[in-house]
Amino acid sequence: MTGAAGLLADGLWRRASYTADDLAALEEACLREAEALGLHPPAVVFHLVPAEVVYDVSARGLPGRYSHWRFGQIYEQMKRDHDAGRARIYELVVNTRPAHAYLLEGNSLVAQLLVIAHVLGHAVVFERSRYFEPADKGFLTRVRAAADRIDRYMSEHGRRVVEDFLDDCQALATTVPLSQLGERYVEDEPVDEPRPYDELFPEEVAARRRRVEEERARLRRRFPRHPERDVLGFVMQHARYLEDWQRDVIGIVREEQRYFAPQLTTKLIHEGMAMWTHNAILQRLRLDSADFVEYQRLNAAVAQPHHFQVNPYNLGWLLMREIERIATEPSDEERERWQWAGEVDPVEQLLAVVEGYDDAALVAEFVTERVCEEAKLYVWAERQQPHGVAITSRDVEEVRAALVRGHVNAGLPVVEIVDADGSGRGELLLEHRVEGVGLDPEYAKGTLLHLASLWGNAVEIATLRSADGVAVRYRATPGSATVAELRQAEPPPSPA
Amino acid sequence: MPIARDSDLPADRGRRDARHHHERVRSQINDYLRKRIGEEDIVTAGPDKRLRVPVKGEKRYRFIFDRGAAGGAGQGDGEVGAGVPTDDPAAAAGGGEGEVLYEVEVDMAEVEETLFAELGLPRLKPKRVLDIAAPDITFDDVARKGPLLDKKATLRENLLRNAKRGRLHLGGLEKEDLRYRSYREAPSPRTQAVVLCLMDVSGSMGYLHKRIARLFFYWTVRFLRHQYTRVEVVFVGHTSEAFELSEQEFFTRKESGGTIVSSAFRLAREIQRERYPEAAWNVYVLYTSDGDNLASDNLPTTELIADLLTRVNLVGYLEIGRGAVMWGGPKLSTALEAAALDGLVVARAADEREIWGALKVIFARDGVEEAVA
Repeated sequence: MTGAAGLLADGLWRRASYTADDLAALEEACLREAEALGLHPPAVVFHLVPAEVVYDVSARGLPGRYSHWRFGQIYEQMKRDHDAGRARIYELVVNTRPAHAYLLEGNSLVAQLLVIAHVLGHAVVFERSRYFEPADKGFLTRVRAAADRIDRYMSEHGRRVVEDFLDDCQALATTVPLSQLGERYVEDEPVDEPRPYDELFPEEVAARRRRVEEERARLRRRFPRHPERDVLGFVMQHARYLEDWQRDVIGIVREEQRYFAPQLTTKLIHEGMAMWTHNAILQRLRLDSADFVEYQRLNAAVAQPHHFQVNPYNLGWLLMREIERIATEPSDEERERWQWAGEVDPVEQLLAVVEGYDDAALVAEFVTERVCEEAKLYVWAERQQPHGVAITSRDVEEVRAALVRGHVNAGLPVVEIVDADGSGRGELLLEHRVEGVGLDPEYAKGTLLHLASLWGNAVEIATLRSADGVAVRYRATPGSATVAELRQAEPPPSPA
Repeated sequence: MPIARDSDLPADRGRRDARHHHERVRSQINDYLRKRIGEEDIVTAGPDKRLRVPVKGEKRYRFIFDRGAAGGAGQGDGEVGAGVPTDDPAAAAGGGEGEVLYEVEVDMAEVEETLFAELGLPRLKPKRVLDIAAPDITFDDVARKGPLLDKKATLRENLLRNAKRGRLHLGGLEKEDLRYRSYREAPSPRTQAVVLCLMDVSGSMGYLHKRIARLFFYWTVRFLRHQYTRVEVVFVGHTSEAFELSEQEFFTRKESGGTIVSSAFRLAREIQRERYPEAAWNVYVLYTSDGDNLASDNLPTTELIADLLTRVNLVGYLEIGRGAVMWGGPKLSTALEAAALDGLVVARAADEREIWGALKVIFARDGVEEAVA
């Protein structure tokens, strides 16, 4: 036997070393099985690289991304875990055409096989999901060109200055719209519509016209005209005191964030599909028993749940298996609920979910009692006495509601610019669209200081103080390290 | 698709950013090491030894929900009502991301480089020595190798190289662009220094006292050897009499006997007169003890120090331990401080954590007198 079949029959664990050809043979075998399953993954280029490169790319999230000490911090942590032999396996896929993925030199052949099969699952999501456009051909080149420009800015203005400015931008990066599909609230301008008998009351009509005109003028004077969610983009265009290099850096952060954004709302979809894919492929490859044990061990390590959070590998995989089950062996109730239950090829149904759903929709629809039980899901809340957090419920409705809350808008609060000429002095006013829970005060204040430094003028955000439900505003001014907390209607302290 | 063995990504970018991260938390690393400088694992660390330093990270702020109030979904076993006590619900909830305590690893070379930059030889004067024509070094040349990067020259080379390839801009620095400041040598008067290390090695010095004294001198010697190529070090131990020792003996020898401090300073004066004339040498005399002395010897000691100070740059005294001397009488530090001699510096260290503070008092950098934390 030759190629992958030979390797697998002999047992991958017997191979003390392997070549790129061995990996290519395994990749080919994975692709064959993926095709047989009906997944049709797009092309992926795998790079076999040393630890220094794998962890560098993992820390940055994109190969060749700009230099920043925060990436060094993550890199050092990952590298140390690796050197101590307690690193988990990383998979990183870059959503280009073809996609690029990285394999760590020195990993066991079973681990490489698992990563290859797993990556194919990610590639399927990138290809199918309506939330993803592949980054265009020039994206990685632009990422590197941006890194070169940032290097240049660092040599011109000092590393620290540029790193701090990047931190300012990163603090606001989550405001970059998560997808172009999001709807926006637009306030209609009042219109003066003629009414019957208008000619009988010329004075009233004139007064009404005047009122409408005034209202329209007021709305038109408003800047921005409509509430703006893209805080970073707005600042890039309208902040008055930025230098050219600073506007360029904002643009860089914003473009890269747009690449990452859809991944934030499809973490369960991505990891669930990747877990499902690599398991389906490896089941079909008929591993030797020692290899099978090693594969199960790696699988368990990845899908291990941690307390007080949800492991997307674990829950995502369970959800995919639940969809598969409903497609093949639904209960009568489930047949009622889902037209396709018991009527559809399970892979086809999985691909349909991958195509149309984000995480919020996925958990809203498919966290069934069975999933709730198997994933050992619960709801936790803070408690006062004794201080800490506690499990408050295991009820499926409550669990589902908590999961949806945690995944809508990637679990991030919605924040909008409502006025960029506050008090007529060019102050920037933001509003948190509160739905029950306010902003974390410490983080809101820290973020606001970054924003004040970008805007070059006072900035405020209105939100809710969760502890007592009081509406408050935080106010930061550039150059000051403290943030004032004001009641909703309280005037800002006059500048001393 | 084939497996690509190449990856055109440079393999050292992660390490370089890790280094930038260290620069970012440099003051925390240094604070930590200053406190731990007396500890065994640092002293016995070779230059390759890597130390783990806990640092507090800068938080990555962004708009997020009030984590405690929001609650959330979790996974795992446990009855409804069961919980984990914690001061920080966010930490328990795994919401803390890069903002708690974590560790960085530094190697000893990095440690010494940054710590020693805080020390100097105070009151250092150029000494004219006619028979030794030591070259004076001026950094006004450029080389392709060296420790001191010349940024201007490097950027010029980079620009030139890019221009040769038809691109008129800076960027994409390569190794071949790097230029370093280099020096020319010219004969000049020479600055040279000797440090006389004196220590009480008598029985009154307990194990802990000796440990601190030795650590103090250990770092003194490491600092001097690290920073100055032209510094000589002489070691003197004393009980009721003084004797010159090799470095090895000085750090390991155990003696018994009485305590007469003046004996050490008398020997120091002899050594200075015979071997290190003040016309040619900057002389530093450092003494450590537990403050014990024959009461009647305090005056002769003070007089000897006053006499020494007419010839040497500085006399430093490190008194180790705290509390009254067991056999009564004022401690040596009290007597020396009462004498208020110009050029005499008295420092104290009660334990290992205070060694760095004492080093900073004695090796104060001229003009950069910092408050000792």
